[in-house]
This record gives sequence, structure tokens and C-alpha cells, in this order.
Amino acid sequence: MLPLIKEIKDVIKWRELLWQMVGREVKARYKQSILGYFWVILNPLAQMLVMSFAFSIILRIPTNAASNIPYSIFLFVALLPWNLFATSLSSAASSLVNSSSLITKVYFPRTILVLSTIIAKIIDFLFASTILIVYMFAYHIPISLNILWIFPIFFIQQIFTLGLSLFFAAANLIYRDIQYLLNMIILLWLYASPVFYPVDLVPEKFKIIYQLNPMAVIINAYRQTILGSGAPNYTSLAIALVLSLVVLLLGLSYFKSREKIFADNI
Amino acid sequence: MENTVIKFENVTKKFSLQSQKTFKEFIPALLRGEETTKGFTALDNLSFEIHKGEVVGIIGPNGSGKSTILKLIAGVMSPSIGKVSVHGQVSPLIELGAGMHPELTGRENIYLNGAILGLKRKEIEKNLQNIIDFSEISEFIDQPVKHYSSGMYMRLAFSIAIHVHPEILLVDEILAVGDTNFQAKCFKKMNEYKKDNNITIIFVSHNLKQVATFCERVIYLNHHQIFADEIPKKSILLYTIDEKQTNKT
Repeated sequence: MLPLIKEIKDVIKWRELLWQMVGREVKARYKQSILGYFWVILNPLAQMLVMSFAFSIILRIPTNAASNIPYSIFLFVALLPWNLFATSLSSAASSLVNSSSLITKVYFPRTILVLSTIIAKIIDFLFASTILIVYMFAYHIPISLNILWIFPIFFIQQIFTLGLSLFFAAANLIYRDIQYLLNMIILLWLYASPVFYPVDLVPEKFKIIYQLNPMAVIINAYRQTILGSGAPNYTSLAIALVLSLVVLLLGLSYFKSREKIFADNI
Repeated sequence: MENTVIKFENVTKKFSLQSQKTFKEFIPALLRGEETTKGFTALDNLSFEIHKGEVVGIIGPNGSGKSTILKLIAGVMSPSIGKVSVHGQVSPLIELGAGMHPELTGRENIYLNGAILGLKRKEIEKNLQNIIDFSEISEFIDQPVKHYSSGMYMRLAFSIAIHVHPEILLVDEILAVGDTNFQAKCFKKMNEYKKDNNITIIFVSHNLKQVATFCERVIYLNHHQIFADEIPKKSILLYTIDEKQTNKT
């Protein structure tokens, strides 16, 4: 826990740089293309349409048993946070390599490079989420107070994402092909998490694996609380929180142990 | 003197370079029992002190470890053996423009680079006009820097770095920036800093003439060790003698 507190203090001291780096990512994206943020919205929308066609119309995967929620919304609630996780992880993994010219010249806490990448992805995610809100209004999906659970769930997701990102960013600096390995892991992970199918379809003997996969728990919890089938499963969420914290501490300690030789390895 | 700002105590820097750049190469090499790292000594048991307000030049042939010393002072590398202590805010003027983003405007890049060098937003705002004036590109300051010429790019980067008000200024071969007028302006600014007894300057250059006129003390590095740490004349003389000898053989 101690190195985590020290790192948080360091980042707070350098917060000006953190915001400038986030601003750099966001502004650069906005300026590069005429359509700017339109792409951030279009990408998940197109993904949702194609996946809905494949999984709902062709494969006829059912949504949650009790509800009559359209598959596209059922999918979208899970797809948005999953995309946030996947894009954060893969961009964070290359964040150090992309800033190698800075790493060899100026000192500042290196965690800022990873953090700013993730925060920029969160901003993209918020933009993309606006369509989900519109969509839910259009379909008159009832919302209960349970929806407030999304804040702690989101928090757990970010702890988990940050821990993995720190690990992969540091590892990728030493072996550049970790990036490709990671892309493969993310793809397989998508299938192992209940993004385009409901967790109810998973056979009982495999449920334990889902409970130990924080992304599965998180995705399922979003779906439960947003689409109104009740409060999340507290035990699963608690396990996910503990696992995420362990991942963050391990990721950070690996990152810190490698930090001293970052500049040597570029 | 009690005002030591930089202290190297028996500093050795070894690089253990990974021979395999990818995981795909690393695993077979490990299984075959090949060496996975290559050792390389950049600095061999160096000790010296630099005091507040000194202007110190570092000279030596390529690969003698000059840049490694700057990186150790800047804190981007740590020594393998020994101890480096630095007191005061370090401002690296090494290879400018590392933090520039081509899509952002000149003005936005001033804020970004200021933050990279550790400045608060207020400090940057206070200096904004000075930085723009010094760079002589005020007409283009709200254009993305990708449209800048390389000269304009370097002038902007230099203006930012020099307005940081550093306590320790690291200068690495950068005064070849821009036209002669701009170079003269940079040297004028550097001379102002030189007169300020609170600012310590470490100056790395191959231009011995510049080193001789600008520095008060020169460290001559060769074969990863200090060959001389004297007044500029003496160190430079030793260096030129050694150079002539190596050229002969």
C-alpha cells in the first residue's frame, strides 16, 4: 500500500503535467480529423449494429430471461465499458514507447504517461455513452436507483485497468512484441467475458472462472444495475475489488522496479 | 565550498543492454542458453563536485560518456554503482522539442512543454509573452507546429526551455540552433544566466572555442573516466594533444 500512496502524492504534485498530457491527447484527436469526436461515437455504434446482427438475428442469443430488453441495448451496456477497458489497455501499453524521446531527456513521474492515456480514453468513453442514454430514452427503459451502482463499479474497473496497464506498459518497453501478445489476450478475453451473451447461459461448472475474472463481474454488474434487474452480486463485486487492488499493487511495483532502467532500454 | 549542488561519488554506469528486442527472440535465446544481456560501461568510477553558480564544460570524444553524465544529473538514469546527489531544479536543454506535439499550436505547446519541465500554469502564463517574443514567431504562434519550419520549431523549443528559470541548466550541443542572429541572442541569454550566481550551468559541446570562452572549468572525459578537471585552457590543451595522437595512430 505504501508505494501506492507515495505514487499518488507524486502524481498530485505533477498534476499540471497530467492535465496537459490529457489535453494533448484529446486536442490532437479532435484536430486530426474533420469529424473529430464523431469517430468516437461512430465506432461503437457500428460495432453494435454488426454484432447485434450476428448474435441476435443469426445466432439468436437471448437477453436476460425476465426482461424484454432489445438485444442491441443489452449488448451496448456491456460493449461500451468493454471497449474502454480494451482501448485503455492497448494504448497504455504503448504509451511509454511512444514517449521514449521524453523518457530519455526529462524527469517526471512516468506513471503520468500511463494515467493520461487512460484518462483520455475515459473522456472518449463519456462521449460514446451519450448514445446509450439517448437510446435508453427512446426505448423507454425503466431506470431505478440501482443505477447509482455504476460509480463504484466504474471505480473498480479503473483500478483493474490501471494495474494491468502499468504492467504492460513497462513490459512493452523491454520487449516490443508484448503489444501483439496483449492484442491477442484482449480478443480472447472478450469471448471469456459476458459481453455479447448473458452470464445466465454459462454452465454452472464454469461460473467460478467468471467470478475470478474481474471484467466478467464488472460487465455483468453494469448490466444488472443499468437495465434494472436489481442490485449487483455483492460477493462477486467484493472479490473483483480485492483482485483489482492486488493487480494494481503488483502492476505498480513491477512498474517501479523497472522505472530506473526505462531510459537505458530505449 | 559548502554550496555543492551536484555531487558524483564513485559513480559507475553500466548498461546491460538486452540483446533481444522482442519476446519472440528472447525465449529461444534463453532456452538455447545464449547470453541475454550485453554489458557496456559508460562511466567508470567518476567522482566530482559542482558548486552553485559554476559554469562547467564537459568535453571528450564521442562515446566517452558526456551525455550519460547529463542524464544522470537530469535524473532520467540512475547509476549502477555509487551515488549522484543533485540539489535544485534541473532544466535540461538537451535535444529540444522532445515534448512538442505536431498537431498542437505553438501556444498550446508552450503550456505542454512548460508542464513537462515542471512549471505551474501560473508561471507559464507569467512568462508566455516573453517566450513568444524571444522565439520571434509571434505571427505563427496559433498555428499547429507541424506547419513550422525546423528553424522555427527549434527557436520555440529553445525559448521555452530558457525561460524556465532553472537552478541547474544542462546544455547539450544545442547552440547550433537557428541563424547567426538567433544564436547570438541565445548566447546573450546564457551569459545573463552565467552572471547569476544562483544558476549552475553544465555545458557539453564539441565546439572547443565556445567552451573556452563560456566556461570557467572544464571536465575532459576519455575512456569513460575523467582525464582532466581544470581551468578551460588546460583541459582543452590536454584534449587536443590526445586527439592529435589518436589521429596519428
